Amino acid sequence: MIVKPDPKILIVDDDVDICRNLTDILTDLDYRVDSAHDGPSALELVRRTHYDIALLDLRMPGMNGLELYREIKKLRAGTVAVLVTAYASGATVEEARAAGAWQVVSKPVDLVTLLALVDEALGQPLILIVDDDRDLCANLWDLLRDRGYRVNLAHGVREASEKLADSSFKVVLIDLKMPDGNGAEVFRQVRGANPQARTIVITGHRPEMDGMVASVLAEGADAVCYKPFDVPRLLEALRSLARPGGELLESRPGAPPE
Amino acid sequence: MERALRFERYRELQAYVGWTPDDTRRVMAAGPRIEPHLTGLIDDFYEEIDRHPGARNVITGGREQVERLKGTLIGWLRELLAGTYDSAYVERRWRVGWRHVEIGLDQVYTNVALSRLRTGLCRALEQSWDRAGGDGELDETVRSLNKLLDLDLAIIEHAYRSEYMDRLQQTERLATLGQVAGGVAHELRNPLNVVRTSVFYLLNARNPIPEKTAEHLKRIERQVTVADGVISALSNFAKMPLPAFQPVQVSRLAHEALENEGLGDSVRVETDLPESLPPVLVDGDQVRIVFANLIRNARDAMPQGGSLTVIGRAADGCVEVDFADSGTGIPQEDLARVMEPLYSTKARGLGLGLAIARAILEKNNGSLKVASALGTGSTFTVRLTASSAKEAAT
Repeated sequence: MIVKPDPKILIVDDDVDICRNLTDILTDLDYRVDSAHDGPSALELVRRTHYDIALLDLRMPGMNGLELYREIKKLRAGTVAVLVTAYASGATVEEARAAGAWQVVSKPVDLVTLLALVDEALGQPLILIVDDDRDLCANLWDLLRDRGYRVNLAHGVREASEKLADSSFKVVLIDLKMPDGNGAEVFRQVRGANPQARTIVITGHRPEMDGMVASVLAEGADAVCYKPFDVPRLLEALRSLARPGGELLESRPGAPPE
Repeated sequence: MERALRFERYRELQAYVGWTPDDTRRVMAAGPRIEPHLTGLIDDFYEEIDRHPGARNVITGGREQVERLKGTLIGWLRELLAGTYDSAYVERRWRVGWRHVEIGLDQVYTNVALSRLRTGLCRALEQSWDRAGGDGELDETVRSLNKLLDLDLAIIEHAYRSEYMDRLQQTERLATLGQVAGGVAHELRNPLNVVRTSVFYLLNARNPIPEKTAEHLKRIERQVTVADGVISALSNFAKMPLPAFQPVQVSRLAHEALENEGLGDSVRVETDLPESLPPVLVDGDQVRIVFANLIRNARDAMPQGGSLTVIGRAADGCVEVDFADSGTGIPQEDLARVMEPLYSTKARGLGLGLAIARAILEKNNGSLKVASALGTGSTFTVRLTASSAKEAAT
């Protein structure tokens, strides 16, 4: 029996009082909460720990909330960002969403709305994509994020094992051929670290990879997708594994603050 | 401007150009001579407008409107020649300028259009003139007509400018209101955010312990004070008291401000404020606020520490004080705006510090200027009037 740890939330705001308040409220609801008052110290925390959700104040001295989110995304693409702002133009909201931030909420924060968003984010299936092709990862990130998945990325075998140790994933997509090892190793790590996770192996080199594909399928991999992807088929395979019997969810656009 | 004032202004301008009853008589006599030419003059006038997009574009009602405008113009010309230059006459001229702003007609078109009418009127006069008695009276009549047209143009221009400025100020007020809304929203919503989250905790916490409850109540109290401070800062800015002038040494004000701000160890402060500097005639309490704002800005521009140099010097009946920091500097595009109220490059704050500084200095017969280089630092220079110079002047 695996004990599922409480979700972790990161709060970043240069206002110490608001950090304390949100910590009190979220701790009282059994979330694990860390807070930081500026971008660099927030990034220190992010390097050490996976956070499910980051609540980021948009306007801070030095690094602002959006710049911070861009850095967080490079380290932990699976962290869902909610930006909090006192006054944002439509352009700011657009820019935030273009950068991949999930929601922009306005101050003073309505806690009922915020807690519902936290719930919703945690309900989004967490996916890990292991592929050394960064462009492909970025495309899949946009595609899957848009369909309501939280998407973490690993660009090699070693990074994959770090990410697997951090969080428990619903589905792991594994490229079979990577510079620092092969996907079969990653597949076996998934079986060890995240036994409940479903797996999709992806490969572009059919004849030479046939043996490896056959062996991971024999060991319990759930599906194979060949590059270039048939996107609808990949999405359907992912949906049936991540949300068995579930609806195809669309990510809700954030309401811009007035 | 009031109707009576507008008429008074016209009378003043009449005196300026040397308008006499003889001028009135000559223009009235010319009326019947010009009358047969008016229709031709007006047709030519509107044909010319049609050739200039900038003028044509303000006519949006097509043929029908042009016919109506021709009627108005012919009325205007007849009135011009009728010899009654009373307050009602001035009012109608004033309305022409006002109307041009409303429809967005560039004032240059009024000038060139009047030039065209002037040429047409003079030509009509020359053609209809009986030259048997010589050209002397014709020349006089043309001069009178020119004076009259110049007066009309002056009134129309005056009306145009005053209406234009009114509208510009209205637009600027709206823009300022937008700026105020943004600045105030940010500064008020942060404390409100803390208050609202504390209230949520107090109402909804599943396991509230008494210490936590007390902590949240204190936090609410504190943030209400912060919000109140924002309102106070705004209203203080809106109503700055008149300065109480006293001779005072700038070195004393600068040292007091430096001590009050407590810059800490990361900022190295150097001062060169010789006792030999003449005293300045200012409200010391107000100028100390200016110095404090400049010192705080210097500190904020040097988050990693640095140096602040305060140098005073006597200059031409004045004392100048430089506040030079070694901070981040101000980008060129922000430099012109940093003293505008509610303009801020900082994450926190209303953006009133420099605007207040400038407003205070203006009331204290001083001034503020800034020079800055990115990565090198900024120098703010306060210029104050020396006490002796001021006394000598009064």
